[in-house]
Amino acid sequence: MRSLLVIIALGFSMAIMISVPAGIVANQETTQNLNAYYNKAVSQMEQQLTLITCTNSSSSTSSSSGGSFPGGGSIIGFARLGGQTIYMNESIVMAAISKISGVDAIAPKIEVGEGWTTKTLTSRFNGITFTFNASSYTVEGVPLNSSLIDNYSILPTNITAGRNLQQGDTGVVVLSQNNTHYFGGVGVGGEVKINETNFKVVGVHAEAGSLLFMGGQGSDVGTLYMNITNAQAATGHTGEISELDVYAKNSSTTLVNAIANDISTDFPTFHVTTELDQLQRTEDIYNSTVAADNISQMQTVAFQEIIVSILATCLIVLFVMMYTVRERTREIGTLKAIGFSNWNVMSQFILEGILLSLAAGIVGIGIGIVAAPTLSGLLLPLSSPFARNTSGSGGTGFGVGGAGYVVRGTPSATALVGNATPVLGPELMLLALAGAIVLGALGSLYPAWRASRTRPAEAMRYE
Amino acid sequence: MSEVILKTEGLSKTFVMGKRKISALSGLNLQVNKGEFIAIMGPSGSGKTTLLNVLGCLDKPTSGKAILDNVDVAKLPENKLCEIRRNKIGFIFQTFNLLPYLNAIENVELPMETTKKSNSERKKRAHELLELVGLSGREEHRPQRLSAGEQQRVAIARALANDPAIVLADEPTGNLDTKNKFEIVRLLGKLNIDQGTTIIMVTHDGQIATHTERVLLLNDGKITKERQGILLTKKKLMCPYCGGKIHPSDERCPSCKKRL
Repeated sequence: MRSLLVIIALGFSMAIMISVPAGIVANQETTQNLNAYYNKAVSQMEQQLTLITCTNSSSSTSSSSGGSFPGGGSIIGFARLGGQTIYMNESIVMAAISKISGVDAIAPKIEVGEGWTTKTLTSRFNGITFTFNASSYTVEGVPLNSSLIDNYSILPTNITAGRNLQQGDTGVVVLSQNNTHYFGGVGVGGEVKINETNFKVVGVHAEAGSLLFMGGQGSDVGTLYMNITNAQAATGHTGEISELDVYAKNSSTTLVNAIANDISTDFPTFHVTTELDQLQRTEDIYNSTVAADNISQMQTVAFQEIIVSILATCLIVLFVMMYTVRERTREIGTLKAIGFSNWNVMSQFILEGILLSLAAGIVGIGIGIVAAPTLSGLLLPLSSPFARNTSGSGGTGFGVGGAGYVVRGTPSATALVGNATPVLGPELMLLALAGAIVLGALGSLYPAWRASRTRPAEAMRYE
Repeated sequence: MSEVILKTEGLSKTFVMGKRKISALSGLNLQVNKGEFIAIMGPSGSGKTTLLNVLGCLDKPTSGKAILDNVDVAKLPENKLCEIRRNKIGFIFQTFNLLPYLNAIENVELPMETTKKSNSERKKRAHELLELVGLSGREEHRPQRLSAGEQQRVAIARALANDPAIVLADEPTGNLDTKNKFEIVRLLGKLNIDQGTTIIMVTHDGQIATHTERVLLLNDGKITKERQGILLTKKKLMCPYCGGKIHPSDERCPSCKKRL
C-alpha cells in the first residue's frame, strides 16, 4: 500500500518530466505544421492566382510626388497618419495596368476616411497641445462585378447580420460592427448618411485584424463597404481610385515580380506588394516575434521544470530507500550473516531503487498518456505559440487561408493548422524508462551504501 | 581422535560504553570437534551471544584466537569474513529471520545466490534440504503462511545450504511453544547424527540443552562447567536411565519408557 503511494507520487513527478518535453515537441510540431502550411499556400498560389496590391499612399515627406505619375490625373490628398493618400484617375490607371502582360484581372478600389472631427492632444512631455483631424470611419468602394466577386476576395468576409454586397448593388452599404454606434446604432434595414447621400444598410460585418496591423486599424475606425461608383460620388472623388488589386493567373513568382516591377515603373508613387511579400512578411514577423520569443522563453521554463522534476524524483527515491534500509536493518543483518558481501547488499538495494523508479516510470507514462496535454498546458504557460491568439475574428492571427489568396480576417493560422497536441511518442517513453533507471540508481546510491556498511552484529540487535 | 573444527584460545571481547568497559568474553578457551552438537548455556549477560557473534564472524574479538577450520578468523579483514560466513558457517536465529517476501524455497536458495552454483543446482539442493527438514510440498509457501516451527525448519534448511563446517544457532527454540521446541532440537540432533553436522547452540533452556551431546555453562565470559547431554547416549545407543538398548530416532526408551 505504501509502496503503491510512493510509486504514484514518483509517477507524477516522472509524468511531469516527460509531459514537458512532450509539450515542447508539440510546439515545434505546430511550428513545422505552420511552415508546411505556409509552403503549401505559396505553392498553391503560384499555381492558381496571385494578388498584387497597389496602394497609393505616399510617405509624409513626399506629398508632391503624386504629381509625377504619368497621365497627370487629378490628385487630391489628405493627411492620414504617417502619410497621404493620393487619388488617381481610374481610367488612366486601369488602361495602363491592363496593358501589362500576365495581368488577369484588376479590381480598382477607393478608400476614403470620412466623418472628420477635430481632436486635440496634449503632449505629456512639454505640455504643447496638438490639434489634428481624425476620421471616424472609412468608406471602401469596391467594384461589384460578379466575376471579381466570385473569383477574388474583395468583399468583407465575416458577415454577422444581413447579407453581403452583390453584383448590381447600388445605394446600399455593408456596415462594420465598429461604426454602427457612429450612425446612432443603426442596423440592417436602416439608413446611414455619408456626406449628403443616404445609403441603405443591407449587412453588418465584423472586422478582423491582421497580424500585420495587430488589430489596430480596424479596432475603432470601421470600414464601410459599398459600390465603388457610389463611394466615388459620395466622397467627392468621382472617377478616382486610391488602391487596386491586380490578379495574375497561372503565374510564377518570377512573373508576379515582373508585373509588380512594371507597375512600380509606370506608377512610381504606388506602394506595390505582392501576396508573396505579405506572406513572407507575415512569416518573418511570426518567426521573429511570436515564435522565437515564446519558444525560447518556454524552453527556459521547461528546462527549469525538468531539472526540478529530476531532482524531485531523485529525492523521493533517496528518502524512500533510506526509509526502506532503516526499516529492513535486520534483514540486511541476516543477508550479511548468510554471506552477502557489502557489494551484494549494495547492488541489491540499488536494484530495488531501480525497480521502484521503473515501476513509477511506467505509471508516469500512463499518467502522461492521459494527461500530457493538461500537464504541459499547466506547466508551460506559453505552450502554444499562438497562446495569445483568440482565433477567429478580431484575433491577431494572420491569414494564410482562402484558396491561395491572402484574405485579411480569415481565422488565424492556429485554427487552420491546429495546435499539435502533446503526445508521448515511443522515443519519449523509452527516454522516460531510461531516465527512471538512471534516477533510480542515482537516488538509491547513498541508501544502498549505508545498507552495505551495516554491521551485522548490531543489525541483529536492531528492533 | 576426532578432527578439531573450531578452537578458541584466550578469546576476549570488550565493549566500550562511554567511559565504562564491559568485558563480554574474557580469555575463553573452547574446542569443538567435527560432528559435535554442543549447547552453550548461561545467565543473560554471560556473553553467549557475543561468543556466537565472534565465532560466526559477525563481530571481531578484542584479543585471542578463533581458529575455524584451520583459519584464524580473528585476524581476517571484512571481505574475507564474508566469504567465511558464506562458505563455512550456517546461522539459525531466534526470530528465524526469513525474508517475508520470498517463499520457503527462495529463502533456502538465498545463501547460494552469492555462490557459483547454477540455478538448477540451487533449486535441487534447496528441495533436498526442505525434504530433510520435513517440509516437502511447502516450497511455495511464504513465511507468513508457515507456523513458527515450520519457519524455523526453513531457517535450518537455509543454514545448511552451503554445506557449512559449523552451524551456529542463537536461541533457536526461544520463540517456539513446547511441542515445537522439542521438534526443532530433535531435528538438529537428527541432522547431527545423520549428516554429521557440527552444531553450536546457545540456549537458556536446560531441557533443550540436554538434548545435545555436551552442555557448556558460560559465566562472566568464561566456560565454568561442562556436562553430558542425552544425544551422547543416543550416539552410544544406550538409555541413560536403564542402560537398555535404544535407537537414535527413539523418543522414549523402549525398555523403561522414559523420555529421552
